[in-house]
Amino acid sequence: MMRTGSKPAAIYFIAILLFFICWPFLFQNSALYYRVMTMTFFYGALALAWNVYALTGNISLGHAAFFGLGAYGSALLSYYWHTSPYLTIPFGGIVGALYGALWYAVFRSLRGARFALATLASVEIPRVIIDNWESFTFGSLGLIGISSLTTLRFGSIVIAVGESLKAQYYLLLCFTLLILFIHWKVMKSKWGWAIRALREEETAASMLGVNTNFIHFATLLLSAFLTGLCGGIYAHLMGLIEPPLVFSLHISALPLVLTMFGGRYLVYGPLLGALILYPLDQLLFHSLLPVGHSILYGLMIILTLLFFPRGIGSWVQKRKTAS
Amino acid sequence: MIILQLFINAFSLGSFYALVALGFALIFGVTHAFNLAHGEFVLLGGYLAYILVGQMHFPFLLTLPISMLAMIFVAVLLQKLLRYVNEPYELNTLVVTFGLALVLQNGMLMLFSADYRFIRSTAPIIELPKTQLVVTQTQIILILTSLLATTALYILLRRTFLGKALRATIQDREAAKLAGINVRRMSLIGFAIGGTLIGLAGPLYARTAYLYPSGGIEATLIAIIITIFAGVGRIRGILLGGWALGIAESLTVYSLGTGWRELVSSLFLISLLLLRPEGILPRRMGANG
Amino acid sequence: MRDRPHKESIMKSFYGVLSLILIIFMFLAASILLAGPATAESNPIRIGEIDPLTGKLAKHGQEIHEGILYAIEEVNSFGGIGGRKVELFSRDDQSQPEVAINQTEDLLYREKVVGLVGGYVDSLVGPISELAAKHQIPYVASASLQKGLTLGRKNPYFFRVANLDGIVQPLCGFLIQDLKPKRAAILFAATPGSTEFGQQVRSCLLDAGIEIPIFEKFRPGSPDFSAFLLKVRQSNVDVLISGGFFADHLVLVRQLKDQNIRLKAYIGPWGVAYPTFIEALGEASNGLFGMCAWNPGIQIAGTEKQSHDFVGGFTARFGKTPNTTTMHGYTSAKALIGAISRVSESGNDLSGENISRELRSLDLLLPMEHLQFDKNGDPMNYRQVVVQIEKEKMVPVYPAERKTGEVVQPSTN
Repeated sequence: MMRTGSKPAAIYFIAILLFFICWPFLFQNSALYYRVMTMTFFYGALALAWNVYALTGNISLGHAAFFGLGAYGSALLSYYWHTSPYLTIPFGGIVGALYGALWYAVFRSLRGARFALATLASVEIPRVIIDNWESFTFGSLGLIGISSLTTLRFGSIVIAVGESLKAQYYLLLCFTLLILFIHWKVMKSKWGWAIRALREEETAASMLGVNTNFIHFATLLLSAFLTGLCGGIYAHLMGLIEPPLVFSLHISALPLVLTMFGGRYLVYGPLLGALILYPLDQLLFHSLLPVGHSILYGLMIILTLLFFPRGIGSWVQKRKTAS
Repeated sequence: MIILQLFINAFSLGSFYALVALGFALIFGVTHAFNLAHGEFVLLGGYLAYILVGQMHFPFLLTLPISMLAMIFVAVLLQKLLRYVNEPYELNTLVVTFGLALVLQNGMLMLFSADYRFIRSTAPIIELPKTQLVVTQTQIILILTSLLATTALYILLRRTFLGKALRATIQDREAAKLAGINVRRMSLIGFAIGGTLIGLAGPLYARTAYLYPSGGIEATLIAIIITIFAGVGRIRGILLGGWALGIAESLTVYSLGTGWRELVSSLFLISLLLLRPEGILPRRMGANG
Repeated sequence: MRDRPHKESIMKSFYGVLSLILIIFMFLAASILLAGPATAESNPIRIGEIDPLTGKLAKHGQEIHEGILYAIEEVNSFGGIGGRKVELFSRDDQSQPEVAINQTEDLLYREKVVGLVGGYVDSLVGPISELAAKHQIPYVASASLQKGLTLGRKNPYFFRVANLDGIVQPLCGFLIQDLKPKRAAILFAATPGSTEFGQQVRSCLLDAGIEIPIFEKFRPGSPDFSAFLLKVRQSNVDVLISGGFFADHLVLVRQLKDQNIRLKAYIGPWGVAYPTFIEALGEASNGLFGMCAWNPGIQIAGTEKQSHDFVGGFTARFGKTPNTTTMHGYTSAKALIGAISRVSESGNDLSGENISRELRSLDLLLPMEHLQFDKNGDPMNYRQVVVQIEKEKMVPVYPAERKTGEVVQPSTN
């Protein structure tokens, strides 16, 4: 029996959503805010995708592997076979998912810190291979000139997604909402209960008939797929990628930080972390302190985690969250 | 002959890795605090040594005890800060120290500027007679210190009451509490000893590599890697793990090329994690450290 | 999970969310107000800078920043441009393209700058140059290497004061004409600029009949090269060309000496020809080869006084000696300032189009180069010199028209 308190939550969710949909119409020319908010949603999606797997209790420090593979899979398909970005991005997701399947096969028996280390190490494998396979991937030179998102045509409506920042904003908003929905479904469904059982007491769960192996596998695959999607989107948004950029520790660590900051057991927790930290950092901290902005960022993280060990979302949602 | 030289260099490199990792391993083992700012602390010790040698012309070996003492204070400060961190402890300390690392990095950037610094070794290289092998003073110091530190820790943990209490805390915090051990004091002591080890690594880091405000992440990564694959709390495993990694890397670079180094290290790491779930040392009944 | 009385918890969470949103938007509003355009009286000319001010490349980013800042303060001390002061807005790009893009947009949108300078890495310079083109604001990059940024790209708003050719040409010339090694080893960093460098040097050396038994890539930041150097010794190369950076040379040179490896020459185009490098290594730096576009005492003919004044003024202002990276920042800022001055003198308004036009026809004699841009935005006369460190001083040894000393062959390296 689940009391999710859905009615009041839904009300202000819709209110906030309306806000994000409507404000661009008030500020027509704000290229800056479109870009920053687009990337905010992007990182929110990335954090949500990561948390899907973190909910099983396994903290991964190697999601950059999925991201990078998604980025390269998507970019190479687009570069060599001139496929539309709307196809290469899901392809990137699939490449990520394949590596996720490999993880499951190899790391299945690992837990805790050992698992974290294995995932960390696993980023190097695709990274070094891509870095050295110059004839195909351009190696360290990186892949530049990746085609931007192509224009969408619905009858007489033409949306130049590649050029219009506003369009990119809405696209990322939709994408993040989709991932938020998936995240919600993963948390608050029968699957979600199974994951929670898996996280809290794996042996007992399997005793009770929860198919722990399958849950584990499916969640990992989903998380890897979604992260790969993010990688593909990144490639087409930025137009250029290089191994140290897409396989970086930053991409692995940021979802963790954002999720813990926002609240790891809240549906919107990871997204909240991104919504607060990213715009604050890019719009305020950077202009206040061009050299010292990271200090503010670091202090903010420290203070928030000290005062809100369950993430800042726990302040927002006074209801006792899952332990 | 070349292979022997390769091994000498690899042992030195491995000892270096082990030294960098020891402080992190002890702190993580005893308190489960995942200190992502570990590298920045090592750099702090290094900068201290750099100032002592550069400005005040201290002999290098003297900077080691000074740095060790100084870092005890810093480590205890860290412990006080992390006391306020709530459950889930491991994850929250990870994120808090992530923020701390950012603060320290940029603090060091402002204090010490972005220039690269290192401590020069003026000692001549030592040529082993009748062979073409060479060894430097720094390499000898590295190997000796890592052996000494590991032995000292081992004796502390295995042959003293305090060590017993620490090991109990490492093995099972709750049970240790039940057995009457003051876990909080163990935590403080763990940080203090960890600080000593960090202080030991700092000046050596400045001499073997170089000091740079953003350079902490490399040291932290080395520490994490070695600690986890040595098996948490297995002190001798750290030295062995460091040597194993050093040898694996050197062999890879020599035979396959520098571009493949990280790939082979990762595969090596992963295989070890899978084959030796207890850590690089075999598990003996009731043994630890 | 116990349910609290429904109403109470709704209100608390509602206020929680509301206050959170309010706080965030207070911050954003504050930032908008803080960064408004200047008042009518002051009306300075605004120039934007994006550099890696923190992070791994902070050393170079800060040096470029100081060079740019010095140029701006210099022009302000002479009364500015057309009576208006020049104001510099610096931003950190954190070595990430999307941060560079965000901050550039910030400079263009909120600070309303009329020109952009700075930049150290091509993966950042590229996106910034595209933004500049989109908003029609000129961008003079201080350090950029790869061909791809100007080749065939019709970006009339992008200019750079340096390029890779200016490094590869003199290096190849020096090796092929002067040093004449039989075998060379090339080590380069896994970055786009260094990789392109490695490829180009290798092809020009192979064309000249020099063998390259070792051609390897490394990840910058590696603390140990001893295994690699053993290979170098085994392969009996005369020359090791290291496309790494300052920190990598520190380790490599030390380990070369530690391993007792004799080479005819060790050449590091980036990071060796720095006063701080010589200071850090001391005697161990003697005999090493480096490259630079400028250093105190090494300047283009006809700019001796300018160079000397620059060194004096800079040292007085910042308390340290400027180096070649600083000079890149200075040169790029001077270019932009020069173009803006010309537009201001002609009475036209400071539109991006006008400034870019002046940049295209710019002709400035600066200590680093005779600055003129070709139709792609590349510098026409950018050529670095090869220096050797002798008695802890940098001595230019190539090309012939700029050399002040002879190459010292090592008896023992």
